[in-house]
Amino acid sequence: MLLPRFDYQRPRDLSEALGLLAQAGDQARPLAGGTDLLVNLKLGKVTCRLVVDLDGVAELKDVSGPGEAPSLGALLSAAWLAKQAGGLGLMGLAEAGGVLGSPQVRNRATIGGNLCTARPAGDLCTALLALDARVVLAGASGRRELPVEQFITGPGLTAIAPGEILLAARPAPGATAGGSAFEKLGLRRTMEIALVSAAVWVQSEADGRTVKAARVALGAVGPTPLLARAAATALVGRPAGTEAFAAAAQAAAEAARPIDDHRGSAEYRRQMVAVLTRRALERAWSRALEATA
Amino acid sequence: MAQQFDVIGSRAPRLDGPAKATGQAIFADDLHFPGMLHGAILQSPHPHARVLSVDASAARRLPGVKAVITAAEVGTIKYGVSPARYDETLFATEKVRYVGDEIAAVAAVDLATALEALSLIKVEYDPLPAVFDPLEALAEGAPLIHDEFPGNVCAEVHQEFGDVEAALAKADYVRTDSLKNKRQDGGFIETHCAVAAPDLNGRVTLYSATQVPHYVQRNVAMVLGLDLSKLRVIKPYVGGGFGPKAEATPLDYCSTALALATGKPVKMAYTREQVFLHSRARHQFIHEMTTGVTRDGKLLALKHRAILDGGAYTSFGIATVYYSGSLLGGPYRMANMKYDGLRAFTNKPACGAQRGHGGVIARALFERQLDLIAKELGIDPVRMRLENMMEVGDVTCNDLNMSSLGMRECIEAVRDGSDWGAKKGKLPRGKGIGAACGFFVSGAGYPIYRSETYHSTVTLKVDEDGGGIKVLSASAEIGQGSDTVLGMIAAESLGVPLDLVRVESGSTDFGVDLGAYSSRQTLMSGHACRDAALMAKNRILGSVAAELGVDPADLDFKNGVLISLGPVLDIAPLRTRYRKEHRGWPNLPDGEALSFAEAARMAFLAQGSIVGTGQYKPPQLGGKYKGAAVGTSPAYGCSAQVVEVAVDLDTGQVRVESITDAHDCGRAINRTAVEGQMEGSISMGLGEALFEEVKFDAKGRVVNPSLGEYHIPTIQDMPAMKCIVVESDEPNGPFGAKEVGEGAIMPTIPAILNAVFDATGAVITELPLTPERVLRAIREAQGKE
Amino acid sequence: MNKLALTLNVNGQDYDLLCEPSRTLAQALREDLGLTGTKVGCGVGDCGACTVLVDGQTVNSCLVLATQAAGKAIVTIEGLADGPKLHPIQEAFVEHGAIQCGFCSPGMILSAKALLDANPAPSELEIRQGLSGNLCRCTGYQKIVQAVDSAARTLRGERTVG
Repeated sequence: MLLPRFDYQRPRDLSEALGLLAQAGDQARPLAGGTDLLVNLKLGKVTCRLVVDLDGVAELKDVSGPGEAPSLGALLSAAWLAKQAGGLGLMGLAEAGGVLGSPQVRNRATIGGNLCTARPAGDLCTALLALDARVVLAGASGRRELPVEQFITGPGLTAIAPGEILLAARPAPGATAGGSAFEKLGLRRTMEIALVSAAVWVQSEADGRTVKAARVALGAVGPTPLLARAAATALVGRPAGTEAFAAAAQAAAEAARPIDDHRGSAEYRRQMVAVLTRRALERAWSRALEATA
Repeated sequence: MAQQFDVIGSRAPRLDGPAKATGQAIFADDLHFPGMLHGAILQSPHPHARVLSVDASAARRLPGVKAVITAAEVGTIKYGVSPARYDETLFATEKVRYVGDEIAAVAAVDLATALEALSLIKVEYDPLPAVFDPLEALAEGAPLIHDEFPGNVCAEVHQEFGDVEAALAKADYVRTDSLKNKRQDGGFIETHCAVAAPDLNGRVTLYSATQVPHYVQRNVAMVLGLDLSKLRVIKPYVGGGFGPKAEATPLDYCSTALALATGKPVKMAYTREQVFLHSRARHQFIHEMTTGVTRDGKLLALKHRAILDGGAYTSFGIATVYYSGSLLGGPYRMANMKYDGLRAFTNKPACGAQRGHGGVIARALFERQLDLIAKELGIDPVRMRLENMMEVGDVTCNDLNMSSLGMRECIEAVRDGSDWGAKKGKLPRGKGIGAACGFFVSGAGYPIYRSETYHSTVTLKVDEDGGGIKVLSASAEIGQGSDTVLGMIAAESLGVPLDLVRVESGSTDFGVDLGAYSSRQTLMSGHACRDAALMAKNRILGSVAAELGVDPADLDFKNGVLISLGPVLDIAPLRTRYRKEHRGWPNLPDGEALSFAEAARMAFLAQGSIVGTGQYKPPQLGGKYKGAAVGTSPAYGCSAQVVEVAVDLDTGQVRVESITDAHDCGRAINRTAVEGQMEGSISMGLGEALFEEVKFDAKGRVVNPSLGEYHIPTIQDMPAMKCIVVESDEPNGPFGAKEVGEGAIMPTIPAILNAVFDATGAVITELPLTPERVLRAIREAQGKE
Repeated sequence: MNKLALTLNVNGQDYDLLCEPSRTLAQALREDLGLTGTKVGCGVGDCGACTVLVDGQTVNSCLVLATQAAGKAIVTIEGLADGPKLHPIQEAFVEHGAIQCGFCSPGMILSAKALLDANPAPSELEIRQGLSGNLCRCTGYQKIVQAVDSAARTLRGERTVG
């Protein structure tokens, strides 16, 4: 399978990268891990005249230090997340990184790539949504930040402007004060696009019983990863446990907007939202208690 | 088993292992020739359309394009698998019948140019109504796909053995069940590839990733109007076949035609998507079976109906629709069997043969039904199978002869090996255990084209210096290990260590071998190989006996040295002569016995090159009825499996946790290779049971033509497998050997279905067992409780 | 399109290439350097047959541009054996019958190498996870798991092959 012909540039810093993109306009595509872009180019789903390889832009691999609000450079890989995000208190993101594609794909696939490809089933997108993450964008006219929820606007669509580069994803500063988890359902145990996924984040009150804050994000059950606000509402202020989790799971299922496709029916997906949400909540809650302790 | 073997029965590593482990093994796409061109094929985007015109003029003008061929250039000679059903032409002229049907092909300096040229070929289509569902295709008023086949009926089979209605009337219990699967793909990791290299004398060598060099040679020569002597087919290493590589592909025809047209080597390969478009893989089967038994579970009669979705062409389909019925003749005693099979044409890629050809889904339903019967009658399903199974010497109602049958040993082995008694009926909800048996031919009794040809010939040549042996065979090593098996058979037959033997295979220059399908090579090529080796050995022993003044019948080789079954031998004069010839050489033989090398050298000095030949065709096999040629075989392999599953009752996900498998392969030539076939069969069966389905959209396009969306099992989906090799002594097999390559898949699907039923009570009548389907069935079963 | 001049370090050896930017690493290895041990089974990262190591990490070489691998240490299946002596992982694959058709074997062996380099004593689950990006249709994976386990022991000095 052949790639179409294109020109290639590997800028050494951000301003050079932005300059190249600005110059080429919509004829250019930034290249991160390549696991989506190169496939889409081969399949003819994407065309471009210039590929701008971001690998040389060092700040795209930056990570926040200990004690800082978490910030993850766009070029950090899924494999890196699987290994390191847990240590940053972001277990849900680590789990999502660990079940994305195959080991080879995880070694290449990046946070930025997953966000910009914006698949409804994007594992990292869904996990970041649950962490109330914002994306940092740089363009010719400066930087801006957007919540992931506003960044992903449709299947394969984002709010990134022509010439902009996604620099980093920033989970909410308080994300590490809670616990998170990611659940994914596919046919096989690995190498799967999610049929349904659920990412949750919960925070405990000091009493170790009451849910202080929560976010539930759902993958592959809408045109974008969805935030199930009603599920969070069903949790906050209530004692954590079977009852609250069941209510949240039910609310999440109602919030889902699945469709029928060849992978599964809308109805089954909706049911699975409840199952995965409940399972993710159980795991996230025990992590929330550790974070509180 | 009194016979002792030195090579056979061992775990000798594969002969090609080091080459494959280091990347040195050359597959078709690894070939490169100076001046090589790259070819590509234009395929129809329509599932059913008249072809009004094909204009390739712009493509021909594109710089770098060396040839464009259409039906106008290559003609319209019809071909297929069975000569009775030649229904394909290389390029569509009047109609295209599926998305992917071929229109034209191009050779150019590189692939990018070839693909660009394809985009410049203008084809005018007049789209026709299409039909994709086999039942709709068979219904009145459906679009007609082939004028020659009214009603879209590709093939019909109606067989009855005994008197089924009478037997069912006498039965204490009769039940009817159904099962359907989905179209499957071979899922081999190497896509099809062909490289045709012409010489300057009008001959072409075609390197093809095929299971059947012989049939490729015949078909390509026939379609392109070549003398067979002008076309040599060589099969390099092949990255798996499993059936869909068992017929000549458009790549074979096109690369050869383009090579002849340009005088240059031409390489062509399918993309993964094109593998799905070519298909020739497992059919979709819709089975319904009615079985009658006595109250103690004795099988009386089976009434079986099957509809096969064949796709647009016949391919192997005639054999498929026959196998689908005939393979239920065993391994149980059953005097009455009626089968009505029907293969429909649809506007989809043609289906063909795949591991367990025709029999897999029929077997799945029958074994599933046995469990349902056993449950109804309150009999342990393993015991019910034991009480019905055939024994050695039995002949089935459709004339299949059980010349060896280790069925009892297989069932007992998996029952005991899985701790069945402690688990069946005693596992918690969500956990289940299931058993099933299987049965398969050990080589088709007849070639695909009607002929009295030998099915396999082998030439074995001893090095003139005596040091080594070369086996020349046209058989097809496609990963199953046939080269190693032939090498071991040659070594055992000659009485030499395996490392003296080199196997050269896969070239039509080496003789006739029908190839790697129907699990035939160990038995058939093995026979020819053994006979070739014995002939060569006898020639050597004849010379040596003459030199020593003894009766050749008193001599033999064992472990590479001459042994005497009679008088003590004085080998000194022979050794002296050998040593004189090799003055100055290190490491000359100095043992008490004469080495094979010394003996073979003496034989060469006396006779010239020592060559042995062997050939095999099956003896006259049973069955005089129409269709008896499909299913009759010199021998039958059989197997049993016990599967344990865990079902997630919330999601419907099925996890196969362990599999215990036993297979009667006759005598195991290579135990590691036998286990490898068992384990590989299980993984394909597991994939078909749980995941695999080629899906189409409303326009007849494959929705999931990738290994990302067509899910074959990963290493994490496979459980630990306990494989028990059951050996019988098959009188019709070389050294008592028979098949393992395909029969081993037979029990997997029904054993999984039976285990899921045991775990959940869910009755599932459609494969694969997607979580959604399983969950729905669990809920339905709960609703009935 | 402008061709790129680049240097690939493959199995310790530098190779200078002039190639289209769209050339994948798999193409460069197979077609430009003649290292056809790297196989291509799908071209889109679904099968793992084209797995090579880049700076010690497994990648699907069909989804990496050749230029992206410039300046990095690339290891292909041709780089594992020590002269005529097979690497212990290769040896174990041969000995245990972990190879059938052999088309997935180069990628599988390199995934095993990356796994054992990072984790010299993997559990069975870790072996399965480490090799989960490499599809094999022939073996059912059982003998592959056994071979990797055996190679790990050899590499740890617990047993010698033979």
